[in-house]
Amino acid sequence: MARSLWTGSLSFGLVNVPVQLITGVRDLDLHFRQLHERDNTPIDVQRWCSEEQIEVPYEEITRSYEFDDGDTVIVSDEELDALEPQRTRTIDIEHFVDLADVDPVFFDHPYLLAPAAENEGALRAYRLLLEVMSQTERAALGRFVMRTKEYLAIVRARDGVLALTTMLFHDEVRSLEEIDGAADVSAEEEHVRAAARLIEGMTVAWQPDRYSDCYRIRLQKIVARKRKGRTIKLPRAVEEPTPVPDLMAALRESLQAARQQPPQQPAGRTRAAGGGLAGFTRDELYDRARSRDIPGRSSMTKDQLVEALSH
Amino acid sequence: MDVPRSIWNGTITLGTIAVPIKVYSAVQDRSVHFHQVHARDGGRIEHKRICPNEDEEVPYEEIVKGFEVAPDEYVVLEKDEIKAAAEPRTRRLDIEEFVDAGAIDPVFYERTYYLGVRDAADPYRVLQDALARTGRSGIARWQFHNREYVVAIRALDGVLAMHTMRFDDEIVRGDELQVEAPSRQPTAREIEMASVLVDNLHVAFDPQAFSDSYRQRVLDYLEHKRRGTAPELAPAEHPAQSDDLLAALRASIDARGAA
Repeated sequence: MARSLWTGSLSFGLVNVPVQLITGVRDLDLHFRQLHERDNTPIDVQRWCSEEQIEVPYEEITRSYEFDDGDTVIVSDEELDALEPQRTRTIDIEHFVDLADVDPVFFDHPYLLAPAAENEGALRAYRLLLEVMSQTERAALGRFVMRTKEYLAIVRARDGVLALTTMLFHDEVRSLEEIDGAADVSAEEEHVRAAARLIEGMTVAWQPDRYSDCYRIRLQKIVARKRKGRTIKLPRAVEEPTPVPDLMAALRESLQAARQQPPQQPAGRTRAAGGGLAGFTRDELYDRARSRDIPGRSSMTKDQLVEALSH
Repeated sequence: MDVPRSIWNGTITLGTIAVPIKVYSAVQDRSVHFHQVHARDGGRIEHKRICPNEDEEVPYEEIVKGFEVAPDEYVVLEKDEIKAAAEPRTRRLDIEEFVDAGAIDPVFYERTYYLGVRDAADPYRVLQDALARTGRSGIARWQFHNREYVVAIRALDGVLAMHTMRFDDEIVRGDELQVEAPSRQPTAREIEMASVLVDNLHVAFDPQAFSDSYRQRVLDYLEHKRRGTAPELAPAEHPAQSDDLLAALRASIDARGAA
């Protein structure tokens, strides 16, 4: 199990559930090391004191706050924790809400909660909260302090465990009033209806494993090519389209194209036998179609992409 | 109110329809920021890049990026070669398909951006209205800062919003935690009592109801400390664990009733 990032108590009324916080996202990015060009030696990053010009061990590092006028105050993590002792150790459930009521704008980072103690009492309290949240389909809201920052958190049952997501406070989300959405312009009903039809025609079931991280895959391929001593081709830029003067004509044309090529419902992750282009996922094929700038690719099914790419 | 600055300009395409947009971050950082300092003299901490072979600081120009393909075997990539992974360089957001916005588990949403009108208002309004009416999110790929993201574009209170999405293989599943089951499951009576408490505490979600009180407390404390009037602080304590679940639930409900 991954490392615990915070240990404390999830408190539900007078029931305290000892929990540990574990990241809910795995880092699959390719990480590069800094190397000294001369001999490819990995560089050591050291912390130095700018006053004494010596290396500083981690335990001797603390925080300093700088006021607008340049004044500074030194403050330790222990002091900052003690400012809100309750929330540093406890996620106090303040309310329950319906998950669907919470706009995704507020979601920040997902974590999982595991019981922090192995005694029967802790495991039963954990299980009770899990059971009641899965049965009522409600999510709990509470606040806690982690690494000197306070978070609003939403806790719910997911995949048989308690899952916590940190949330943004309302003043951390920018007001929509600052964004020009051309509220004074009203769209023609006929256009909206045609666009809605087009959208419905291009709708598929949400299936997250349909989308792969093509960037990560390409970077892995680039590393593999370079390792074999091959050269890396730089991509070419794709032109940006300009808006069409006749919106209705464009809508009609797009509708017709979508009707001829209904989107393919995802059919699992199986790769067709026999290899060749058919052995790729639709995502990978789409990716190839895009780098060749094949028109109409966004509404093509997997078979149509194979067909278009084989010419 | 500061006027937001757009961070990217581009065009959404849907079939043959082009919707020129500007991208704004939906998030504004409110954290209190600190510098790292050496505790005994307040000296700012500097990060020095040292080559262990020569035990000397290495100037930035002599540093390259390498990926470790085997122990101590690095493949060095030039900046442009890393950029090549973000192909093709494009200012297009081609909507590939739509999904029911309500069907997306929130765990996939990473970061939110707002989309503003650029040049043409009509196609923007049509897309916004049609997304609001259908409750769909458009899925596209976005090339931003030499990276590629999968994004979901949807209607939000009269404007378009865009979320970068996490990939399925990045999400840690619950069963990976291997949470131990208690030897005795919670009883029906305990679950029933807990449900009463959940109902008692149920409200409609109102983001304004929660504010970051800690942030202000930190700023106040720093101001006091600067003037030499900071209060003594007591260390944080762990709450006691209750072994009698039913008694704790009953007491919680009673406490709510009395309040």
